[in-house]
Amino acid sequence: MRRRWLAAPFLLWSAAFIIIPIFMIIWFALTDQSGSFTWSNILEMGLADNIKALALALLLSIAATLICLVIAYPIAMILAGKKNGRNTMIAMLFILPMWMNFLLRTMAWQTLLEKNGVINTILRVLHLPAVTIINTPGAVILGMVYNFLPFMILPLYTVLSKIDREITYSARDLGAGPFQTFVKITLPLSKPGMISGITMVFVPALTTFVITDLLGGGKVQLIGNTIEQEFIQGSSWHVGSGLSLILMIFVFISMVLVAKYDPQSTGTAIGGRP
Amino acid sequence: MNPRPLRIAKRIYTFLIILFMYAPIAAMIVLSFNASKSRAVWGGFTFDWYRRLVSDAGILSAFNNTILIALISSIVATVIGTAGAIGLMRMKSRPRAVSVAIANIPMLNADIVTGISLMLLFIAMRMTLGFTTVLIAHISFSIPYVILSVLPKLQQSRGGSYEAALDLGATHTQAFWRIVFPDILPGILSGFMLAFTMSIDDFIITHFTKGPGVDTLSTRIYSEVRKGIKPEMYALSTILFLIVLLLLFLINYAPEKKSSRSMKHLVLSRVVPCALVIAVLVFALHSTGKVSAAAGRNGEVVVYNWGEYIDPDVITMFEKETGIRVIYEEYETNEVMYPKISSGAIAYDVVCPSEYMAERMISEGLLQPVDRSVMPEVSNIEDRFFNVCDSFDPGNRYFTPYCWGTVGILYNTNMVKEPFDSWSILWDEHYKGEILMQNSVRDAFGITLKYLGYSLNSTDLDELTEARDMLIRQKPLVQAYVVDQVRDMMIGEEAALSVIYSGEAHETKAQNPNVGYVIPKEGSNIWIDGWVIPKNARNAENANKWINFMCRPDVATMNFEYMMYSTPNKKVRELTTNSELKNSSILFPAEEDLDRCEVFRYLGSGPTDTYNRLWREIKSH
Repeated sequence: MRRRWLAAPFLLWSAAFIIIPIFMIIWFALTDQSGSFTWSNILEMGLADNIKALALALLLSIAATLICLVIAYPIAMILAGKKNGRNTMIAMLFILPMWMNFLLRTMAWQTLLEKNGVINTILRVLHLPAVTIINTPGAVILGMVYNFLPFMILPLYTVLSKIDREITYSARDLGAGPFQTFVKITLPLSKPGMISGITMVFVPALTTFVITDLLGGGKVQLIGNTIEQEFIQGSSWHVGSGLSLILMIFVFISMVLVAKYDPQSTGTAIGGRP
Repeated sequence: MNPRPLRIAKRIYTFLIILFMYAPIAAMIVLSFNASKSRAVWGGFTFDWYRRLVSDAGILSAFNNTILIALISSIVATVIGTAGAIGLMRMKSRPRAVSVAIANIPMLNADIVTGISLMLLFIAMRMTLGFTTVLIAHISFSIPYVILSVLPKLQQSRGGSYEAALDLGATHTQAFWRIVFPDILPGILSGFMLAFTMSIDDFIITHFTKGPGVDTLSTRIYSEVRKGIKPEMYALSTILFLIVLLLLFLINYAPEKKSSRSMKHLVLSRVVPCALVIAVLVFALHSTGKVSAAAGRNGEVVVYNWGEYIDPDVITMFEKETGIRVIYEEYETNEVMYPKISSGAIAYDVVCPSEYMAERMISEGLLQPVDRSVMPEVSNIEDRFFNVCDSFDPGNRYFTPYCWGTVGILYNTNMVKEPFDSWSILWDEHYKGEILMQNSVRDAFGITLKYLGYSLNSTDLDELTEARDMLIRQKPLVQAYVVDQVRDMMIGEEAALSVIYSGEAHETKAQNPNVGYVIPKEGSNIWIDGWVIPKNARNAENANKWINFMCRPDVATMNFEYMMYSTPNKKVRELTTNSELKNSSILFPAEEDLDRCEVFRYLGSGPTDTYNRLWREIKSH
């Protein structure tokens, strides 16, 4: 039972670049410019504008997550129901855009949605009224759904395709209708996939600042934007750290909540980092 | 088994989702061949954007960095992660659970928090942000993916066989390589692929941990996209899409028979083709990317300048004449630039702040005096500019004027019919959704304060609150808050009115004659940007040479004709052959207009925080 030392580089690396950085955030969050202890950075979250930014971020990310779930579930079922071979090809079709650069994908929507963008040009040719989507919260939700949809489809597809068909067939044999079978059998069995899909969409959506930057025209301010501005355009790294700390706690609480409903804790086995 | 209508419904649904996923990509591919920059007009078929893309040294080196960082970080992460997973298996269950939980942190945590935490660490360790810090960050977030891919395979591995091999006389090493390794190889490979993908696609963590001169594709695209419409980006998307398509095709359609899923086969059919494609890419890029890195026999100079604020040929000329390599970085606003300098994490040699920011940097001791004895060309700068600067830089020891201009309203003459001479038009309900505001604190507040009849250097809380309320009232009318994009948006007729710097206004007019520029009667801002040398500059001597070079009449003329910003250099108006520029009323406004304009002053840290706070309240309203 030797070889335990093989974990040493990993443990050292984790300590240096995962644990210590988190303590850096905590340290910055709890001190002021002169280095003395303060709660004021944490309390900044209580300011009306920060509460608003957090609430809007929650609202938009929950909306985007639900929309992703509703769109992705039928697709995952369709894919899982297909014969081997064809399904991998179609699944690939959904993964492919994910491999393209995330910023380029978001920029593409800018191109489509702008006032003189592709969609409005097409509408004009058809003599239909132009639509204003760009620079609204709706555009941000659209950007989130577009970018994170594959993260919902994939885990759902993985879980659904592992469900033993015999179980659903037996349910049908025993007199359950298609709807009942779905609600009583398929849905509960797909829960791990739903949960990992939800976390993989919700966390990046909650904390994004890029999608709002590109599709919100500077008019939609989420908590991610506030934190980014504290650091990059910067007023204060201490306040930024305070807000990050709260955001981090928020993310971990939602993880714990999710894990509660996920007894097997298969969780985020399929990674995803948009 | 399915009834027919259901099957059709499934097909339609699948088709719609695929349409949703691919429509934007298709649009970009089409636009990449569009000769016109506009998204609404087809200007004919062209390969021009591709040609420009492959001759863009910045993009090429970003591509290079992306592949290099992804390769190194995923290899290191795979080694550390695999060893870690093997070690973890040998640990007792409780410490193992804790370690796995720690490994999970970067995966579960928000990227923005991971990025910030690493940035704080690097700065605390006094590491200069750059290639190394990005690499460390990428390794850190990649390791968990490897561990979580390898661990399940290890758990499934035939533990008994390992013991049996030992019993039969194999050494630990032999037993490992012959028994365990083949079992976990698929896990290692998929961990590597995941790490590679994550590294290539990462933007947020790189954004926080990168330094000057180091860009990955993601960060480069981000800064390009924020500058305005760049059809080169469509060309880049198309190329990336094709590469990904090719890679996936190779992975999935390599001949694979179910019966022969041996290790060797796996490697041959999947890994080898991918490795080949990547190798070819790296090689191709390396051979093209090398060109620009050759100069530098006399050291380097790290320049931090506004976006699109120099003629690129001037940089090449400087490198050729002096043998100094230029590392060039851009920022969007003074407020973005300031914390990078003040934190000292990044050593820039020469920076180009506006006058009020320079005043702040001088007062905070962030700058070092320039060496006027090696700057004979500074005599070309008009005295009146040095006189203005004397108010915040006594004796002109720090600041050398580079460009100046005014802030005004640029309007589309087809959309705004009636004449106007007041800022009030920006609050006119009639132009709802047709107004572009500056996404910069001082500019936005400055014009509002002027409109209200106050000084744009007001620190009076009542006046500022009044301005904030005005800006909140204006927000529903605003189409977007923008900085550099405003020019392309006005050229593309995306909006009727915009707040703009005079130089941008002139350039817009050159490309779209249907615009006019007004300095409102309430007065406005006159600004001066100039070169300064930060205290922590590593190449101050080269920075002095840079400043002197910028004041040379021929160089200033090149810049003037390229950027079309008003220049303080008195020789330029004699040298330039472009009469339209020379006589532009936008660039060289009447004296009485200028008399109503005010220079920004640095207001001290308290009022600056107030401005920032009020601005946040506007943005999140």
